[in-house]
Amino acid sequence: MLAFRAYSWFLSRRLGLALLTLWGLASLVFLMIKLMPGDEAQMAAGADASAAQIEAVRERLGLDAPVIMQYFSFLGRLLRGDLGTSIVTLQPVLADLEKVLPSTLELVFIAMLLNLAVAIPAGIVAAYRQGGVFDATSRVTAVMLGGMPAFWLALVLQYVLGSVWRVVPISGQQSYGMASPIVTGAPTLDALMALNVGAFFDALHHIILPAAVLAALFATQIFRTLRASLLGVLRSDFIMAVRAKGATARHMLVRHALPNSLNPVLTLSGTQAGAMIGSAVLVETVFARQGIGAYMFNAVAQKDAFAVLGSVMFIGTVVCLVNLIVDILQLLVDPRIRAAQLGSQGQ
Amino acid sequence: MTAPAIAQPAARRKEGFSAFEMFVFALVVALLAIAVFGPFFAPDSIYSSDIANSLMPPSAANWFGTDDQGRDVFWRLIVGAQTTLLSAFLVVTLYSLIGVTIATVAAAGPRWLDEGLMRITDIGLALPGMIVALGFAAAMGASLRSAVIAMAITGWPITARMLRGIMRQTMEQPFVAGAQVLGVSKWRLMTKHVLPNSLDVLIVKWAGDIGTTVLVLASLSFIGVGAQPPSAEWGATIASARGYVSTAWWTVVAPGAAVAITSIAFGLLGDIIQVRRDPSLRGN
Repeated sequence: MLAFRAYSWFLSRRLGLALLTLWGLASLVFLMIKLMPGDEAQMAAGADASAAQIEAVRERLGLDAPVIMQYFSFLGRLLRGDLGTSIVTLQPVLADLEKVLPSTLELVFIAMLLNLAVAIPAGIVAAYRQGGVFDATSRVTAVMLGGMPAFWLALVLQYVLGSVWRVVPISGQQSYGMASPIVTGAPTLDALMALNVGAFFDALHHIILPAAVLAALFATQIFRTLRASLLGVLRSDFIMAVRAKGATARHMLVRHALPNSLNPVLTLSGTQAGAMIGSAVLVETVFARQGIGAYMFNAVAQKDAFAVLGSVMFIGTVVCLVNLIVDILQLLVDPRIRAAQLGSQGQ
Repeated sequence: MTAPAIAQPAARRKEGFSAFEMFVFALVVALLAIAVFGPFFAPDSIYSSDIANSLMPPSAANWFGTDDQGRDVFWRLIVGAQTTLLSAFLVVTLYSLIGVTIATVAAAGPRWLDEGLMRITDIGLALPGMIVALGFAAAMGASLRSAVIAMAITGWPITARMLRGIMRQTMEQPFVAGAQVLGVSKWRLMTKHVLPNSLDVLIVKWAGDIGTTVLVLASLSFIGVGAQPPSAEWGATIASARGYVSTAWWTVVAPGAAVAITSIAFGLLGDIIQVRRDPSLRGN
């Protein structure tokens, strides 16, 4: 009973924060709309709308009402899922974005796998052999990667690996004629569902470089965090006791040191999952992939203001939801976070 | 002559700078010197096209080659250094000012104001900063000015959060209580006593912030909401050279390397300052 009350206390607090954040985001987007120079109805109707069409939009958006009423009707429209209409595709922005979201989520998912698969082993080896050759080279690499602009890394690797060495496709999500019937909108998942092994590996082949670039951006943080945390644990007394009882280095690392140093990594990768979705805007477009980042990039290029701001609202919302889910998962996975979150507030 | 009963501790040895630290300092100083003085030496031709000379590979005349308009890539980088670093300094200064103001009001103000401001800070921290900045810059009309303002109004939450925590700690110290007993006004107490004794954290953060700001600014320009062509700003330069990477790699590689070197140099400077301030971090 106590545990249940503690859980619901944490959940309602966390949900409250998420709702507050979404409200803050919505208010910021409203402010952005009001900051736009020129006539809002004109912008929403498109450059070659007739006077009557502009008036119809003004009527529909309630732009003659006082600003405070406009704000509330804006919030009302958001709650009904109306993020505005693109003047390029002439579709509701939400419908456009829903179509490409799975593709972005797939990219972020694979990037996260690569990120952890590279950074965690590298962090362990670097910390265990502190000051060694591997430690030094991987730290230098981390510093270099951390300072590189993602889109530039993408362009250079695309040129070297795609055009010069031809080991990966230059761009796109699948080869010509390899498209599976769209079920989820995520190419590798669709290929799996169509039981088409060739198409699956083809889609994987296309996603590997974009995902690696996205992963490289974030792997440096995981590497640094794990290395620092593991170094701290390796210096502690209980590790000396483990070594003294005769445990092998592997047993000591895997069973004792690592579980005690993964906590900050878990927290960080949660934050990163959200941040990666935002960074997709820099990577997707270079590789001509579909996704919410590429959609936003094209909207900027076509001066489709409402599509840009609708995307800001959408991406912000997805990031908030991902962060919420990650926080709840963490609570379920890590007993220490559970104790900290529930113990202090859950009486 | 009798020897002192208690051995005197040797004077604390001044720690010198390692070769690596000197290298980082030299790099940062060189970048600043290039940004300040470099553009004075640039030829006028960096904004005018010379199509006959377009996409020429690096040579003695054009050290880093020429771009699609036949403009010298090297001199455009030098001029771009000023634009990029000046904008980054402006962004960090502006958001630090906003952060300091919010932290001071939160630390000094009544409980409800503190709570309110910190919840707003929470919202700011939870949102993807670059995406919100992108939205603001796009809404104000894509330009370098819009990008700088957008980054300034989205960059402050971390500063505000950190500084408010430190100020609260400073306020617990005896000298603050002493000043209060002497009848110093709240405003004077905060601005003359608490704030100056809490600003350390900003000094430590400053260099690293420049490094990340350079990256985000280049990203916004690449997306198209920052500096616009024919600006020599590095992100905008990469965006306009994008299509030529396979025919003239130097047009893309050079500005990207400039962003990377600048960002890495300021990031390392930030790390060095941090370790000097708190030697327990050494080796991490």
